[in-house]
Amino acid sequence: MARLAMLIDLSRCLGCQACVIACKAGRELAPGERWVEIREVVWGRFPELQGAFVPHRCFHCAEAACVQVCPTGALYKRDGFTLVDFGRCSGCGYCVEVCPYQVPRLVDGRVSKCASCLDLVQRGEEPWCVRTCPAGALQCGTREEILAEAQARVAALKDRYPEAQIYGETQMGGLGVIMVLPAPPETLGLPAQPQIPPLAIWKGGVQPLSLGALALSALTSGIAFFIARRRHLEEKRNSQNHGE
Amino acid sequence: MKLTRREFLRRGGALAGMWTGLSQLGEPVLAFLRTRGARWPWYRPDEVRITYNYCDMCMWRCGMLVYTVNGRVVKVEGNPKDPKSRGRLCGRGQAAVAHLYDPDRLRKPLIRTGERGTWSFREASWEEALDRAAEALARLRDQYGPESVAWFAHTTGDFWFGDYLPLAFGSPNVGKPATGLCLTPREVAAQLTFGRGVGGHEPVDWENTRYIVLIGNHIGENAHNTVMQDFARALAQGAKLVVVDPRYSTAAMKAHRWLPIKPGTDTALLLAWMNVLITEGLYDREYIEKYTVGFERLAEHIRPFTPEWAAPITEIPAEVIREVAREMAAHRPQVVIPPGRHVVWYGNDTQRMRALFILNVLLGNVGRRGGLYLPRAPALDPYPHPPFPVEVAAGGCGAAAVGIRIPDTPGHPPRADGVGSKFATGPVVIQELIEPMITGQPYPIRGLVVYGVNLFHSIPNVPRTIEALKRLEFVLAIDVLPQEHLAWADIVLPEATFLERYDELWVASHRIPYIALREPAVEPLPDTRPGWWIARELGLRLGLADYFQWSSIEEYLNTRLMSVGLSLDRLREAGGVFTWPGKPYLEDYGEGETPFPTPSGKIEIYSEALARAGFDPLPVYEPVEEPPPGYFRLLYGRHPLHTFGKTQNNPWLAEVYPENEVWVNDEAAAALGLKNGDLVLLENQDGVRSGPVRVRATPRIRKDAVYLVHGFGHRGSRLSRAEGRGASDNLLITRYRLDPISGGAGMRVNFVRLIQEV
Repeated sequence: MARLAMLIDLSRCLGCQACVIACKAGRELAPGERWVEIREVVWGRFPELQGAFVPHRCFHCAEAACVQVCPTGALYKRDGFTLVDFGRCSGCGYCVEVCPYQVPRLVDGRVSKCASCLDLVQRGEEPWCVRTCPAGALQCGTREEILAEAQARVAALKDRYPEAQIYGETQMGGLGVIMVLPAPPETLGLPAQPQIPPLAIWKGGVQPLSLGALALSALTSGIAFFIARRRHLEEKRNSQNHGE
Repeated sequence: MKLTRREFLRRGGALAGMWTGLSQLGEPVLAFLRTRGARWPWYRPDEVRITYNYCDMCMWRCGMLVYTVNGRVVKVEGNPKDPKSRGRLCGRGQAAVAHLYDPDRLRKPLIRTGERGTWSFREASWEEALDRAAEALARLRDQYGPESVAWFAHTTGDFWFGDYLPLAFGSPNVGKPATGLCLTPREVAAQLTFGRGVGGHEPVDWENTRYIVLIGNHIGENAHNTVMQDFARALAQGAKLVVVDPRYSTAAMKAHRWLPIKPGTDTALLLAWMNVLITEGLYDREYIEKYTVGFERLAEHIRPFTPEWAAPITEIPAEVIREVAREMAAHRPQVVIPPGRHVVWYGNDTQRMRALFILNVLLGNVGRRGGLYLPRAPALDPYPHPPFPVEVAAGGCGAAAVGIRIPDTPGHPPRADGVGSKFATGPVVIQELIEPMITGQPYPIRGLVVYGVNLFHSIPNVPRTIEALKRLEFVLAIDVLPQEHLAWADIVLPEATFLERYDELWVASHRIPYIALREPAVEPLPDTRPGWWIARELGLRLGLADYFQWSSIEEYLNTRLMSVGLSLDRLREAGGVFTWPGKPYLEDYGEGETPFPTPSGKIEIYSEALARAGFDPLPVYEPVEEPPPGYFRLLYGRHPLHTFGKTQNNPWLAEVYPENEVWVNDEAAAALGLKNGDLVLLENQDGVRSGPVRVRATPRIRKDAVYLVHGFGHRGSRLSRAEGRGASDNLLITRYRLDPISGGAGMRVNFVRLIQEV
């Protein structure tokens, strides 16, 4: 499949959170688990106020820090989205640490984040959030289509929102979620230039080191086990002798 | 119910006892819990069975497709063929599955064993519970007359318990919250002005409108699916938006102008806008001449109400008032001031709604593209039955149009709600049926059947309601969830949810007239029963078999459908929805055919009917009482994930928005030494206190008012998630001002102060 993307038009979002529940329902998420959240952002002073609803969800970075640090391969890229093989997740939480948007969480010892609705898209349907959005703020399609749509929408919004702009075209190597913003990203609580964490340290240093540490600890606990077991057997023999 | 599959596995042994307990909740609940955990990929299409429904998570009634896998409902989606949902649903609709499998649901008929109000019940068989209930109702009817029993009904099953069984029984005292606690002033004002009601679906021609003025209308927080769709698209098409609201609402976030009006002064603003339109000659002269009567008297009437007059009253600058009026005129007739919902604010609400309608009329938009279209309802025959001993008077927001009713029909028992004395006209108002339970005036109401109405979260003056409940001889409650008022019932009957039952057809008054089907997706959870079945069983036991001659609900529905050449099967083949062409615009009406069936056959700007009844025939502004020093006016509204007092226990909705907060202007909060997240109690002018609630200090509200999301603060319920969470606005609404025309209960006349929790 071509590289896909989603569009989220913040100028249209009414903050109703239908997407939040549709996702929870469709993906049968655990209690307390949500892949989509909506944050209300209001700025200015009474009565000169402005506001918007900002999604807090996986933006499916092309250069996804979470994928790069995942030690088990549970997080991986496909067709522009960042997918999750939940069975492979060890719950180490590295992805939680490195995400520049603080999106992944651990729920019941396992990563929790939007794993996309690629299963539905592959059979010609829309993701749960997209198909229910009453405001028509969401779309899903090829990344080119979505970028073109976003550009058209921003152009149409310039009168109403002079600072309207696209978000996600370049950030993190290009996001899989392209947003139409009515105001600059910083105003909406989004990093204008999210930084890729020093991955070299993770990939090149910490990860092998931690693997080494893991092996070392396995080795030591193995030795400890043998010692403990020998002692235990000795004690058992002794107590049996005493018992007789 | 915080258990997850993972925890089960991890702590399996320790949880064995709990597991046994859970098994008693039945297989569906277990299945629900077991499958929690990201479902990826989704079910294969051949695993999924689809049934049709219309949503009951609020009263908007969006068409739904219900997806069932192995006897378990796994998902609901909007029905693409449905004119309301158009394939989409709001968050509440999406959470219907969690409602169906809410472990707190009522599962057995209950019969009271101890004091009322103490939840002292024993479980009973359906046979016993129905026999006893019918016996008690029959005794009251035979001893005191059928009018001695009041019937309160809400949500879609209210057809059976509001519009059918009580009328067969012979009681005119049928109350729906949708009247006196919501829409009555709007419907009465529309009847007086246009000769037709607005109806359940506001007829705004969003598609073609270019300029929208919302007055206290919370689109987005009031998450009516269709309205959100239309509103968002209208804005995307470039329509201009003005929002008049003391609070910076979701809609205000989208507005070109936000006018933070002083609460209670809306009519002054509407009059000033009319003044500008008329004195500057900006109104639609041709439309006024062709379709209306009484314009000259209005022109005379509004002369003193200049923007300069309104500015100090409304606290909106005169120049802004003038500019908005000119902008409205520049866009006419593609301009609309939607009538809104829940219009019971200050007790002068029929007059305010009349002012709003007349403003629309001056812009020539009624029956025109981009204004207010003319809705139409399909005409289906009822299932044949003998005439009812009383006439339909309950109204309700689902009603196609609520007629102006002359209080008493000769030969029928009169209504007890004070129509004709306390207020002039309109459908039965639910809150005025409480008083006769206590005082016996105009005659005693001794029994109550309450279906789906939370008495403590909908009817103002809770102490009075409790007093009434203590005095009633018999209370029967039918519900899905253990809401707090059930504690006061003598008998409780557990109903199946809308996903588990057939129901009356949804006959929609709409731009596109249509009907929609509700059919069960799964069997009702044992031991619950559908509303139609409960009503029929009660009816048969009450000697009303002539009204229930059908042997099955399918036969009932098929017979009704036959009158329009349909059947259940054909309705299913059509996709669960069947539509007819509408007549939305004036041009759809031929010569000599008026869309405005008033006495004059025209839109009545000046109302002879009001003049004759001794009311102002043209709208006037009356000042409302100000909050005393140290007090704020209590405003309330909606959250997009909650409906009334009904959804706070929904496992998914409660997770995302578990409790309300009290919105306080940030500077006003600082002056009180309060900050975001502080716990406070709210105490009203009568000394009634809410439970603890967190402060939301925000610039999004005026300094003279505080705001609560409605429906929280359940106390005394058996709702495990909702109980004790947040503050109840209705508890603090101990007083209201009755609208003397329509009987609407103006509830924004309560004041609260904030007491810091230590």
